[in-house]
Amino acid sequence: MTEVLFFIEVVVAGLLAGTMYSLVALGFVLIYKASATFNFAQGAMVFFAVLAFVGFMELGLSFPVSFVVTVLLMVLVGFCTERLVLNPLMNQSEDTLLMATIGLGFVLEGLAQAAWGVEVRRLDLGIGDFPIEWIIDVFGLFVSALDVTAGIVAAVLIIGLALLFKYTRMGLGLRAVADDPGAASSIGIPLKNIMLLVWSAAGVVALVAGMMWGARAGVQFALVDLALKALPVLIIGGFSSIPGAIIGGLIIGATEKVLEVYLGPFFGGAIEGWAPYVLAIFFLLYRPEGLFGEKIIRRV
Amino acid sequence: MTGNSDNILEINSIEVMYDSVISALHDVSLNVPKGKIVALLGGNGAGKSTTLKSISTMLAAERGKVTKGSIIYDGTEVKNQNPYEMVTLGMVQVLEGRRCFGHLTVEENIIAGAYSRKLSKSQIKDELEKIYSYFNRLRDRRKSQAGFTSGGEQQMIAVARAMMAKPKMLLLDEPSMGLAPQLVAEIFNIVKELNEKEGVSILLAEQNTNVALRNADYGYIIETGHVMLHGSADKLLNDEKVKELYLGISKEGRKNFRDVLREEETKKLA
Repeated sequence: MTEVLFFIEVVVAGLLAGTMYSLVALGFVLIYKASATFNFAQGAMVFFAVLAFVGFMELGLSFPVSFVVTVLLMVLVGFCTERLVLNPLMNQSEDTLLMATIGLGFVLEGLAQAAWGVEVRRLDLGIGDFPIEWIIDVFGLFVSALDVTAGIVAAVLIIGLALLFKYTRMGLGLRAVADDPGAASSIGIPLKNIMLLVWSAAGVVALVAGMMWGARAGVQFALVDLALKALPVLIIGGFSSIPGAIIGGLIIGATEKVLEVYLGPFFGGAIEGWAPYVLAIFFLLYRPEGLFGEKIIRRV
Repeated sequence: MTGNSDNILEINSIEVMYDSVISALHDVSLNVPKGKIVALLGGNGAGKSTTLKSISTMLAAERGKVTKGSIIYDGTEVKNQNPYEMVTLGMVQVLEGRRCFGHLTVEENIIAGAYSRKLSKSQIKDELEKIYSYFNRLRDRRKSQAGFTSGGEQQMIAVARAMMAKPKMLLLDEPSMGLAPQLVAEIFNIVKELNEKEGVSILLAEQNTNVALRNADYGYIIETGHVMLHGSADKLLNDEKVKELYLGISKEGRKNFRDVLREEETKKLA
């Protein structure tokens, strides 16, 4: 019985951690759909955003003020990206855009470290990384309060974004651009504004993910790699699917925890870092379009 | 050919290059009078789509550029505008192959057409009603996902979506493509109705010469980037060369316009 409980605990912790992957992957999907490029700078955006947030806190700003200022800063980053990187490269090949996002990543990493320094910062959100008591009492499960908070925050953000896309004019424009940018522009949907919206949303997502991860592991450069775990998430979920990103994140979160706990000891531990990539390789071999992606059909 | 304010669109011998090396149009001139339907005819690769895209400025997205000549739309020269600006000026293109937003519902597709007009919810509702009065079939399918509708319905969605932008001029690229004759007739009827009731001028690229000329006021025939012949729709329908080459009324095998002209030339010389 304790074995089963322990397994459930591991899965729950994995799923909760997975919501954060889902959220970051969602940022990737939005950009992928709107600009047909994989945004390699997303990891750097996470790092940049949370480092900026901690930086503002250190300046003596309160938590909500720092948050708002950082959100505005990320919108500005999105704006500059559209103006200085994407717009001049409009109509270039996807490879060119991909290289540009890698470059953008280096610039953001450099800027963040130049502005706020390289040492690991502590971020205290006031939520401890310890089990919640009533869950122990009711279910007999040990679930971390930080995991639960991260799960709820991610879920709220995902639902919020979904509502925004479904019911607003901008959201309709975004979905139209995601389906067919050419047709969208032919009926007068300005790609520029949609791009700005998408990059701002990705920036906010990056900030939230950075805060949750930073609270656990410290605000440090390793966050860049953590965010790139969205890559296996997207390979599993499918690059072009929003539900795919969400479910892919949960799958990666749960599997990596289970593998870590049950298989980790045979590899000397810490397989969380690479296990998702192994899973992704299997998907690439047997189902390259992912669980929810559109089948890639090419006419020769 | 210039300076006539009765024309909503005037194209003066434009040349178009893709990637700065591939020349797609050599010398195309045409006029669209206000409130009229003009057909642009020709086979695959003749330059019909390229002509339409150079007007709507969608060319840039394919790395194409107008390198010579001029395009005057409604008194303004079309040069460095982007498609968004053209739509706000009242020029909307319906792209070849319908290009509906497959994951959006039929109604969302149509509403997306009004994006540039920044309408309120109630205004959108009124506009939708007006559009549905032309496209009755779409009213019944308003909640369906556009990707699952038939080809004819998708073509209607594409035209309805463009009409939501309240265009003064509509560019239609092969509305008959891949559709059964009955549906083609239905769509052309709607197009004609829109032209008459809403006063929208139409430039229509078609391979289906017969249907296009029957519904248009005027026609241009282009081949390999040159205008080969133009005239009123009636005149073209009764033209011997057009009959032979484009309407399939001929005893001999396939030829193109150049061959016929060359034959005539050699006859004259002999």
